[in-house]
Amino acid sequence: MARYVIGRLGQIVVILFLIVTILFVLFRLAPGDPISRMVDPSLSPEEAANLIAQLGLDKPIGQQYLQYLKNFVAGNFGYSFHYGLPVWQVIMAKLPNTILLFSTAMVLSALVGISWGKIAAWKKGRGTDILLTVAALVTHTLFLPWLALIFIWVFGYKLGWLPINGMISAEVWLDPTSGLWDKALDVLYHMVLPMITLFIMHFGSYLLVMRSSMLQTLREDYIITARAKGLSERAIRNHHAAPNAWLPVITSVGLSLAFSINGGALTETVFSWPGIGRELVLAVSQNDYPLAQASFLLIAMVVLFANLVVDVLYAYFDPRIRY
Amino acid sequence: MALLEVHNLSIAYRTKRGLLQAVDNVSFSLEQGRSLGLVGESGCGKTTIGMALMGLLPRNGRVTGGGITLAGRDLLALTRQQWRELRWREIAMIFQAAMNALNPVQRVGEQIAEAILTHNPQMPRAQALSQVEGLYQLVGLPLERLRDYPHQYSGGMKQRAVIAMALACNPKVIVADEPTTALDVIVQDQILQETKSLQKEFNIGIIFISHDISIVAEVCHHIGIMYAGQMVETGSVAEVFSQARHPYTRALLGSFPALGGARRRLSPIAGEPPRLIGQLPGCRFCARCPVSGHSCKLEPPQWRQFSDSHFVLCDHCE
Repeated sequence: MARYVIGRLGQIVVILFLIVTILFVLFRLAPGDPISRMVDPSLSPEEAANLIAQLGLDKPIGQQYLQYLKNFVAGNFGYSFHYGLPVWQVIMAKLPNTILLFSTAMVLSALVGISWGKIAAWKKGRGTDILLTVAALVTHTLFLPWLALIFIWVFGYKLGWLPINGMISAEVWLDPTSGLWDKALDVLYHMVLPMITLFIMHFGSYLLVMRSSMLQTLREDYIITARAKGLSERAIRNHHAAPNAWLPVITSVGLSLAFSINGGALTETVFSWPGIGRELVLAVSQNDYPLAQASFLLIAMVVLFANLVVDVLYAYFDPRIRY
Repeated sequence: MALLEVHNLSIAYRTKRGLLQAVDNVSFSLEQGRSLGLVGESGCGKTTIGMALMGLLPRNGRVTGGGITLAGRDLLALTRQQWRELRWREIAMIFQAAMNALNPVQRVGEQIAEAILTHNPQMPRAQALSQVEGLYQLVGLPLERLRDYPHQYSGGMKQRAVIAMALACNPKVIVADEPTTALDVIVQDQILQETKSLQKEFNIGIIFISHDISIVAEVCHHIGIMYAGQMVETGSVAEVFSQARHPYTRALLGSFPALGGARRRLSPIAGEPPRLIGQLPGCRFCARCPVSGHSCKLEPPQWRQFSDSHFVLCDHCE
């Protein structure tokens, strides 16, 4: 197992190098000039040229690339053009917010999707199954920003139940009498809408994968063995069918993580959630190259490591897999 | 009264093309400690009978007539809960191990202990596991393999584990459905010998389902030959083997190679069994039968008795 993980980490390093290179090329191809944003038009041409030289942007592209690689290996991502702060600092300020929102929503949708998929397969063709399957199909195909806007309009604007943007309310956090609990509740309160949006977008695919996997498992001979042994239907479903059925679902969780990240960026943007996804969208639109590059890289790393974790988990759940 | 009585049993499946009469008017009985082999080609209804004995017919299958009694108890009248309690405790099944009869993500020992614990909910887990150890010794499996997963077993070991599982709750009857079909002949023979001695030791009644008449002859006291959902000949092994009467039984024996005796050409049975949907007047084997007369197609054949135990469903078998 340890050997396998080390081998996979080696692969990850290679893939990261490729991603870093692709990012470098992409950003050089992108339209828009970073200097025009950074440099005050009132500066003289010499001063502007000085600044460009300081940033190293006057050097040949090959040299820029080597410098870029060197900085990357050293963990130096440069300064954000927009904030004027080290990129690392900007990212570290935003990352926990994204992890909070995203992992909660993903764990929730995986758990709910898998258990509803299990039930749908068990009640195949009956009302519960039809209801769940149709719900999964419909929500899975919804356009996320539209859904988010509908939520904002209904729950935030019309009903006024929930905050429509941000992560905290100033009046709670500035009030010296409010304790940790009040602050946590306030964050939770702000989390409801974006989390439900993400949940609705994602539980459907887990439900559908689990349902079809479960249906296949229920046709296996060991299910007949279990029934012949006199086990209750509940024990058959939970101890024999489900542990086999969720193996393919684990894989699909890992794969879908990469795709759900753009949904995450959209959700953060619509709800003004101060996370890394929203920061990425802003950075791209402001030609903030260093920040955008680092955010892309971070997302790539998260996806790569998540897939590694999924593979290790797979070996844990399926005794037939040994590395 | 016999331990297990199957009386005029008929089973049908609802299919898209109509009602499929998989088992038609089959009767047999099994005494304690005896074994009966059900032999026939694929689709003759032998597995369907096995599943009906376990109360495990698929959803579209239904007993349409006749009865099954086990130790005087009418199995067809059982509720689902009663079935659950009876299964494995009274009547267990040996599955074909190659067919994934074991759950791939559960340890083999646990799967056997699960059967014991289901029927003895009060029993401590450790006691169930020590019983499983006893079963492993019984079927000749090394104890250190208790905590292995099914994929770590060879085909023969899996088959032994499945047999151990069937013995777990001391059932009165065991239904063995093609238990050695996927094994090579040497392992097959070992398993058959062990099954035989275990049966004697525990005085279990066995229904042995197989397409291989030679295996059944080795293990069983009685044989029932099935064709197209019907029992066509039944008798002791000696009777059916050496005095086969039904043309199908004879054809079946002629299509298997014999180890001893004169060398002869194997004779395949030409044609296919009839489709079992709709009315089937007359004898079902008629179209493939070498001795059929005109009347066979019109009238259903009658049972003829040749000894106390030897019965044949044919009008032309003298």
